[in-house]
Amino acid sequence: QAVLVPNAADVEAPEYSATELLVLLYMEPDPRCSRCFRASLPMHGRYHRPAEDSEEASVVLKSPEVLLCCCDNLLSTECWTPAEVEAPCSGKPNSPCQWYSTMHKSVPEELILQVPVGLRQHSSVVCVLTLLATGLCSSLILAAVCKHGHFS
Amino acid sequence: AMEATAGWRAGVVAGLLGRLGLVAYGLHQDGAMRVRYTDVDYRVFTDAARLVTEGRSPYGRATYRYTPLLAWLLTPNVYLAEVFGKLLFAAGDLTAAVVAYRALRLRGVAAGRAGGCCAAAWLLNPLPAAVSSRGNAEALVALLVLATLYWVEAGSVGKAALCYGLAVHLKIYPLTYALPIALRLRGGRDAGPGKKTFGGHLWQLFVKMLNRDVLLFGAVAGSVLAALTAAFYHLYGWEFLEHAYLYHLTRRDIRHNFSPYFYMLYLTAESKWSFALGLAAFLPQLLLLLVISIAFHRDLAFCCFLHTAVFVSFNKVCTSQYFIWYLCLLPLIMPSIKMSWRRGVLLLFLWFIGQGLWLAPAYFLEFEGYNTFLLVWLAGLLFLFINSLIIVQIISHYQKEAPVAKKLKEQ
Repeated sequence: QAVLVPNAADVEAPEYSATELLVLLYMEPDPRCSRCFRASLPMHGRYHRPAEDSEEASVVLKSPEVLLCCCDNLLSTECWTPAEVEAPCSGKPNSPCQWYSTMHKSVPEELILQVPVGLRQHSSVVCVLTLLATGLCSSLILAAVCKHGHFS
Repeated sequence: AMEATAGWRAGVVAGLLGRLGLVAYGLHQDGAMRVRYTDVDYRVFTDAARLVTEGRSPYGRATYRYTPLLAWLLTPNVYLAEVFGKLLFAAGDLTAAVVAYRALRLRGVAAGRAGGCCAAAWLLNPLPAAVSSRGNAEALVALLVLATLYWVEAGSVGKAALCYGLAVHLKIYPLTYALPIALRLRGGRDAGPGKKTFGGHLWQLFVKMLNRDVLLFGAVAGSVLAALTAAFYHLYGWEFLEHAYLYHLTRRDIRHNFSPYFYMLYLTAESKWSFALGLAAFLPQLLLLLVISIAFHRDLAFCCFLHTAVFVSFNKVCTSQYFIWYLCLLPLIMPSIKMSWRRGVLLLFLWFIGQGLWLAPAYFLEFEGYNTFLLVWLAGLLFLFINSLIIVQIISHYQKEAPVAKKLKEQ
């Protein structure tokens, strides 16, 4: 179960003009280990600006923030630092819920997403060849129309 | 004749069963597999319909960029069953085939041939069936465009204008048909004998364009469009104009698609040349559409087919849904294209190869993360070349049928 803030995402926008999104994932208890929770999120990269020399843009995926919902009035020792996130607790969609940040250590390895980008060096060749190709194809069609069309 | 009608009926039944089968399969795949069969757009339609049943604006649903009519039409999705919309689109699909059949019979094509063309190109064609069963609304626009062409040929200008106004309200691309329809309605009268210069000919074409039929068509279509726009603006305000019309006119999608311009527009998206290049991309489309209108307006279906094929192939954005826009006119022009079976099959094969050669690097780009931009770009250029070749072959092998030519001479 997930909540998207704001709830509309412009999927066509390139990375440099996309607005930030907040995604809240409600984690499920992991059946294989007690006191473990898991969540998985599929990701789809946006288009990045064309680059000068590298064929890929690196996006560092920072660790997510883990928040606790201290609902049911359980005063656990972990419910100390309130987090500034407004989202409903799962199961009670309309009542506001106070979320708390946890003190946890994130795994040290960095996750890096490689997104392919276009190369700026290609610009002139691509523009010239594209316009030549479309010019050629439209001339072919134009010639055929002029030859077989009824202009009388 | 009896056999022909029976064969045609069998074709319609086969088309119906095929579409129902695909809808059923789609329901299964949606439930059982990770990759959904139903298109994302269908989800958007249903959510917007749900908003309408609650009395709110369908534009509250993000990415709903269509007419409110569609959300209203699909309210039974909420009241009855979510599959209603797909069944409606499949029914629209089949009705489009029936209208195409009637239009062919109106032109004097024999029943067997007409049935065969409609069956081969539309009823038994998997592409329109898949598009409708996935929940895309293209079949409705195809039906309205075919109905417009049918009524123009039958002589009912008012009914044609009504269908045309609705079609343009649904999707903007039929607006390009305005010029061929106007040229066709102006009638075949040409001034007296004597050689005309090309300029004199053009003058005559365009100045003499305003006859009673053209004015009637323009008035009815214009009022339908204006009435719908005013009514929905009154109901939903600026949101309606922005999402239903303006978005489609100003949209710049730089993600990979079949268009030959995609890589060029992606690389120059932020440069100062962006506007000039966009304009340069528009000029071949405009020129070709003008020349095609002048050259082929006597056979309206053929002219509109060429219009849309050129429009889609040279557009700055091209996805496979757009192919339906000209495929729906294929049954109407098939009898006029005198091409050997082998050549036709070869061209069809080339068309699919062109798409396949694009889809392969695009898959690796999108799902495997390889940088295949150059390959996708070159495949896009190749696909443009193949499309142009097919269009040129269709034009070269076009021959008007004798009975229709005689009818025009009599006017």
